[in-house]
Amino acid sequence: MSLLEVVNLRTHFATDRGTVRAVDGVSFTLDDGEVLGLVGESGSGKSVTALSIMRLVREPPGRISADRLVFDGIDLLQAQPQELRALRTARIAIVFQDPMRSLNPVLTIGRQLTETLRRHQGLDAKPAARRAVKLLEMVGIPSAAKRLTAYPHQFSGGMRQRVMIAIALSCNPRILIADEATTALDVTIQAQIVDLVKRLTREMGTAVIWISHDLGLVAGFCDVVNVMYAGRIVEAGPVRDVFQRPSHGYTLGLMSCTPRVDLVGQPLTPIEGLPPNLMEPIRLCPFLPRCRVSVGACASVLPPARAISPGHFASCHADLRAHWRG
Amino acid sequence: MATSVGTRAEEGEFLASQRYEGGMRLAARQLVRNRAAATGLVCLALICLCALLAPLLAPYDPVQINLSAKLRPPGDEYLLGTDHFGRDVLSRLLYGARVSLLVGLIVVTFALSIGVPIGLIAGFLGGTIDNVLMRAMDAFLTFPPLLLAVAIVGLMGPDIENVTLALGVVQVPVLARIVRGSTLAVREETYITAMRALGASPLRIVTRHVLRNTLSPIVVQITIVFSAAVIAEASLSFLGLGTQPPQPSWGRDLADARRYMADAPWLFLAPTAALMLAVLSINFVGDGLRDALDPRAWRTRRRRAGRNERAV
Amino acid sequence: MWHYLARRLIQVPLVLVIVTMTIFLIVRATPGDPVQIMLGMQTSPEAVAAIRTEFRLDQPVHMQYLLWVGDILKGDLGRSIRLNRPVAELLAERFPVSLRLAAAAMLFAIAISIPFGIIAALKRNTWIDYVCTGYTVAGFAIPNFALALILIYVFSIRLGWFPITGIGTLEAERGGLLDYLRPYVLPAIALGTLQTAVLTRLLRSSMIDVLSQDYIRTAEAKGLQPPTILAVHALKNAMIPFVTMVAIQFGYLIGIQVTIEYIFAIPGMGFAVLSAVVSRDFPVVQGFTLVVAAFFLFANIVADLLYSLLDPRIRY
Repeated sequence: MSLLEVVNLRTHFATDRGTVRAVDGVSFTLDDGEVLGLVGESGSGKSVTALSIMRLVREPPGRISADRLVFDGIDLLQAQPQELRALRTARIAIVFQDPMRSLNPVLTIGRQLTETLRRHQGLDAKPAARRAVKLLEMVGIPSAAKRLTAYPHQFSGGMRQRVMIAIALSCNPRILIADEATTALDVTIQAQIVDLVKRLTREMGTAVIWISHDLGLVAGFCDVVNVMYAGRIVEAGPVRDVFQRPSHGYTLGLMSCTPRVDLVGQPLTPIEGLPPNLMEPIRLCPFLPRCRVSVGACASVLPPARAISPGHFASCHADLRAHWRG
Repeated sequence: MATSVGTRAEEGEFLASQRYEGGMRLAARQLVRNRAAATGLVCLALICLCALLAPLLAPYDPVQINLSAKLRPPGDEYLLGTDHFGRDVLSRLLYGARVSLLVGLIVVTFALSIGVPIGLIAGFLGGTIDNVLMRAMDAFLTFPPLLLAVAIVGLMGPDIENVTLALGVVQVPVLARIVRGSTLAVREETYITAMRALGASPLRIVTRHVLRNTLSPIVVQITIVFSAAVIAEASLSFLGLGTQPPQPSWGRDLADARRYMADAPWLFLAPTAALMLAVLSINFVGDGLRDALDPRAWRTRRRRAGRNERAV
Repeated sequence: MWHYLARRLIQVPLVLVIVTMTIFLIVRATPGDPVQIMLGMQTSPEAVAAIRTEFRLDQPVHMQYLLWVGDILKGDLGRSIRLNRPVAELLAERFPVSLRLAAAAMLFAIAISIPFGIIAALKRNTWIDYVCTGYTVAGFAIPNFALALILIYVFSIRLGWFPITGIGTLEAERGGLLDYLRPYVLPAIALGTLQTAVLTRLLRSSMIDVLSQDYIRTAEAKGLQPPTILAVHALKNAMIPFVTMVAIQFGYLIGIQVTIEYIFAIPGMGFAVLSAVVSRDFPVVQGFTLVVAAFFLFANIVADLLYSLLDPRIRY
């Protein structure tokens, strides 16, 4: 049995202008210790998917529904608020994009760390503080003991994100969701943080959902990747398969505009056009207006999920084998 | 007014200070806000009309003493009753509106005519002059407004000039700051434009730009000044320092009503209601104006463009 | 932070100079001969001249000002012409009374605005929110003396629950705690309603702002209980502007309480200034207005100080 089963997840937001279908039929599974990448452009629904899994979406105006949303045998859709709160950070944890805004400016780092320990593990103040020091050391923050009484604004961006990771991993969760965790950081720091997460999650056996629009990071870290567009998964599979044999127009577009070390000197091809209007129900492939490789069938029927190879699916009519670089 | 404001909003030139002292944001949905503003505007117009047409509308002479009819409760003959001198309360209310509105207008004019130039000078010239002017503004902000008014009017006499001075001088600092904020912001960008615009005087550009830009927060501030002036004038009259008898004034009537409170509650209820109505109307209009001119609210307004919008 | 405080303190003398000069000029701009008005027509020319010399009214204006400032710096605020007592003594009697009234009004304001502000923010755009903000709208519109009259009519005259006068009287002092507190209720409500409106609005918008911040989302993602999130994560941030506003409003209150003191016969600063103005008692007018303005200035500085103390981003 998988650790996390998501079948046909839909998250819709009711607005004055209509219903925004931020997530419109997302399905995937996550096994113990697996690292799943979720890629797509802004507005593709990646973050909303993550928030929906943790039921952190405000309902109303949001509405989460799914055929199945099960974590470790627990039905997350039916769960009571108290149950959900007991799960958060304790069993499923999340690291957000902007560590400056995600940390409370008027509380000490120590307080923000020990909160989860005291809440979920029932520790008293002193043992929690000791554990907090260990956590800070684990994520590579020097003079950890002194840092407990410091405030977030006294840390640099990379250090703050390390603190967020420490908070997320403090109760040894089964799943860590990293929502664009490195996007707001300097490139050199990005690499450090990714290495840190890689190392820690491997040591602790934590499954990871790594959300990013940076294909390079995903390629270097993930086992499986899901490509999202307009609130749906358009291609999914083992990371090597998907990136070497892209089988959806959007994935192909992404690969073509990603610089590659082994293809220096080749011009990049951007994806023209604008993101789709998420208020329209989807009748045809949502990527059609921007697709360079569309075929006749694309204009008449929604492409079904097609198996490209074992474990590798894509919802695309076109045959893109000619575009594979190998 | 709405279209020119809209154009300005679309130009994104809301560089003027977004500080709205007093925090009067009504947290209602856009529609209710505009309904309130519209209602406020209508009420305010009615009050102005009453004030202007008081001689025509008032059923009795407000200062005519008629002791045989004293302290009558509201009834057929005297719609809102009579006071201890037998004077018709309704008539006194109508005439009292004149004083309140007039004082409000004069104070607003005074505050504008002093505050705007100060703000322009401070913002445009900057440096020491700016510093000195702003310190002076801070000094005047330090005065407890009512106490200062009591001192000025009480000592120098209750003529309209002293009342205006007393009530207006404490309103100047905020206005000056608003204008200064605009000027500073615009000065940065328009110097560049001015350099490119051959022969166009920077002063003229700044002044025109600044005044266009700053119009929205100033308009909102005017409503605040106006309602503060109305209340302050009523307070002064209540204390016996403002409008002198026998001229009708809401504050003064409240002071008289105090003595007869137990037997004649209508005497203090009527001016209170009048004051509240006036201030509420002005405040609603001010809120409506602010929300109409706020670029953040602009998006929601455009969505509802089809509906019957009357926020100015 | 200390630089900021030092900078603020340096501004104080300059502001006070402008304030004292303004007060001085206002007082001197009074029409008519003050001494004549004070003493009436029957007094002998010698008595008038003596008074004139004693109060330095025979000297040029700028000399009077400088001498007055000199006296203040020595701690001498002058003598009341009418009561023939040192102004400082009167101040010591009246200032605590005003402070107590202001404190009562602020307590009322805080007690109402905190729950109202929080609830209005949590339930924004629902009818509960409308009720709370509607109440603040009314609070802004009604002058405090009009409200005082309404309260007196309902609670004193009709219901007899609270007395009209009684602050600073011997009966109140001698009685129990309730007797002492009862005369404060109506004045506190009348005076504090405007502050309630201001503070409720402030807390509401502050809370709404805070609740939309990312760190609240983090707190939810940690699985913390809603009361904890509200009290620890949200309120700690939202209260910062609230607390500073309380300090500012407290200073401001002392200046505008005159109408309430007048109605309820409370022997405070405002009432004293009013009487002094009417009776042309210049030293009292000068001294008291100066103290009130200085107190307001002081309250503003305290507010700034509080802000920098409460927000760690500024403190460190």
